[in-house]
Amino acid sequence: MTEKILEVKDLVVEFRTDRGAVKAVNGVNFDVFKGKTLGIVGESGSGKSVTALAIMGLIPNPPGRVASGQILFNGKSLVNMEPGEMRKIRGNKIAMIFQEPMTSLNPVFTIGNQIEEVIELHQTHLSASERAAKAVDMLRLVGIPSPEKRVKEYPHQLSGGMRQRVMIAIALSCEPDILIADEPTTALDVTIQAQILELMKKLQKELGMGIILITHDLGVVAETCDTVSVMYCGQIVESADVKTLFNHPAHPYTKGLMDSIPSFDSTSGHRKERLQTIEGMVPSLFNLPKGCNFQDRCSKVTDDCRGSQGDPVLKPSKGVDHNVACFNPLN
Amino acid sequence: MNIYSYVLRRLLYTIPVLLGVCLIIFVLFNLVAPDPAFILLGKHATQIQIDQLHHELGLDRSFIVQYFDIVKSSFTFDFGYSWATKQNIYEMIKNGAGPSLSITGPLFIISNIVAISLALLVAFYRGKLIDKVMLIVSIGGMSIPSLAVVLFGQYYFGYKLGWFEISGYERGFPGFVPYVILPVILYTFISFGADTRFYRTVILDEVYQDYVRTARSKGLNEMVIMFKHVLKNSMIPILTNIIIQIPTLILGLLFAESFFSIPGLGSMTINAINNSDFPVIKAMTILSALGFMLFGIITDVAYTMVDPRMRLK
Ligand SMILES: Nc1ncnc2c1ncn2[C@@H]1O[C@H](COP(=O)(O)OP(=O)(O)O)[C@@H](O)[C@H]1O
Ligand code: SF4
Ligand SMILES: [Mg+2]
Repeated sequence: MTEKILEVKDLVVEFRTDRGAVKAVNGVNFDVFKGKTLGIVGESGSGKSVTALAIMGLIPNPPGRVASGQILFNGKSLVNMEPGEMRKIRGNKIAMIFQEPMTSLNPVFTIGNQIEEVIELHQTHLSASERAAKAVDMLRLVGIPSPEKRVKEYPHQLSGGMRQRVMIAIALSCEPDILIADEPTTALDVTIQAQILELMKKLQKELGMGIILITHDLGVVAETCDTVSVMYCGQIVESADVKTLFNHPAHPYTKGLMDSIPSFDSTSGHRKERLQTIEGMVPSLFNLPKGCNFQDRCSKVTDDCRGSQGDPVLKPSKGVDHNVACFNPLN
Repeated sequence: MNIYSYVLRRLLYTIPVLLGVCLIIFVLFNLVAPDPAFILLGKHATQIQIDQLHHELGLDRSFIVQYFDIVKSSFTFDFGYSWATKQNIYEMIKNGAGPSLSITGPLFIISNIVAISLALLVAFYRGKLIDKVMLIVSIGGMSIPSLAVVLFGQYYFGYKLGWFEISGYERGFPGFVPYVILPVILYTFISFGADTRFYRTVILDEVYQDYVRTARSKGLNEMVIMFKHVLKNSMIPILTNIIIQIPTLILGLLFAESFFSIPGLGSMTINAINNSDFPVIKAMTILSALGFMLFGIITDVAYTMVDPRMRLK
């Protein structure tokens, strides 16, 4: 068994809005292991980014806050950690990259400056020239050609894929224990997407960090993750290792996501458009139904699902470490 | 594009604009304005006296020649002599520039530092008590007429409490310092409200950008994020606002210098207007136009320094 570095327990994140309080994350549990990749999958609005920001201690407050639950990093609680102490972890032990490579870098500072900044902050023993050298090394590590030239350039001189590589360079320059990648390839085109995922896998082998990969695309999960948690309306509805999940999806929502994976067209070499999407809409967090949140979109729905049995809770399905929250699981 | 050739080209572009400004001055003063003979000789002058004066002032020459006289003066800075004081105007401007700069310089620097710092502060504590208090203070400051602020300040801090000089001037540093403190404070107060509100808006536009989230995710503290990442991105609109203040700053100080009896360019211009001292008014108009165009060039060069995405065109 590999080393457990992050433990999220019963995490609840609440936002106060004009229309009342909503639980964007509602009782989420998962573990992250050294050198392994956990995928978090779900449609837009299911609470993936909020979960990530909660780990980073970056939930905008107000309106948001971690209402209950625990986040343990190497056994240490991150929730309500003293801000100065949390800043020493952020960017250093736990780093994050974002969905928007085009806007995530500061347009008015050079690439080199933005990499050196995080090194200067967390690796105080390095001199200015060592930092500059390390910035170049990091660019080389993430596969950016002629890094000596690139450090002097500004973000607008780089393509989206190159900028995401720079973000990865920033995130990894302090050799974090955990890298959170929030839809890192969603904004990029398919070939670049594959390159970035490949790069992350390669760097994980070299540096041994645990990765949380957030995506709405199960196809991405299949290529990169060891374990998967499927999120819906702020809750995890199914979790398993990646093989089990793909071979025996138990939750109708997971099955739906799987059927909507864009398939690869071998003749044209391009991905086809989605064949099928899950019908219906994600219910509003302000107006969740009684019982299962997926009931209005589910083909397996029965009376049990509508509240008479309470809410479905995550419990072991057939396989080892395979959990599902459904009254009528598949298979 | 090379910065020197850019500046050179922009300087060349100012020539046609300057010719236009000279044309307007010529039309206003030499064609539309009353005959200077009325101003200088009074109502009872004889035709011989009038003709003689016209000859002295060069008004008996052709319009073209008179126009190019004005154009020439804007390159040589030889503006002739004041009608009122008979002094060389170039010397008058040289003498007035020192006192003016001793107010506009500190005022410009202090008022902008105050406004930008307050804006960063309220943007940082947006929605909190200090933000709300500053909103009320800013709106209050903006609503009081500037003349009332000056009169109150002179009466209360100068006369009642006796803290500051309210009139007069002494040349040279540090002699001038006591005389400029009160005007600098009062005019900072007059301008800070509007500037702080504007800068706050500009800064808040940046605070929610994705790169700020990245900066946080690196573990930077909020002060570094504000003063390094956010401020530099806010600099374009802030710079624009700072530089468009300059002409209004000069115009505003026309009156400030009179209120505080400071012998600067502002007082000089006001006196010239009161005395219909055409040559001085013309000289100041030409200088303002030149200054305005020069600041335009400085602004554009400054933009390219704060924002690498801007290219000199
Ligand atoms: N700043 C915020 N203020 C209010 N509600 C928010 C905020 N951020 C997120 N939420 C709520 O959290 C829900 C989940 O958001 P998010 O985690 O971004 O979803 P995703 O799975 O697409 O990343 C949103 O639908 C929204 O209701
Ligand atoms: S609990 Fe019922 S409605 Fe919900 S996913 Fe399972 S079968 Fe469908
Ligand atoms: Mg998201």
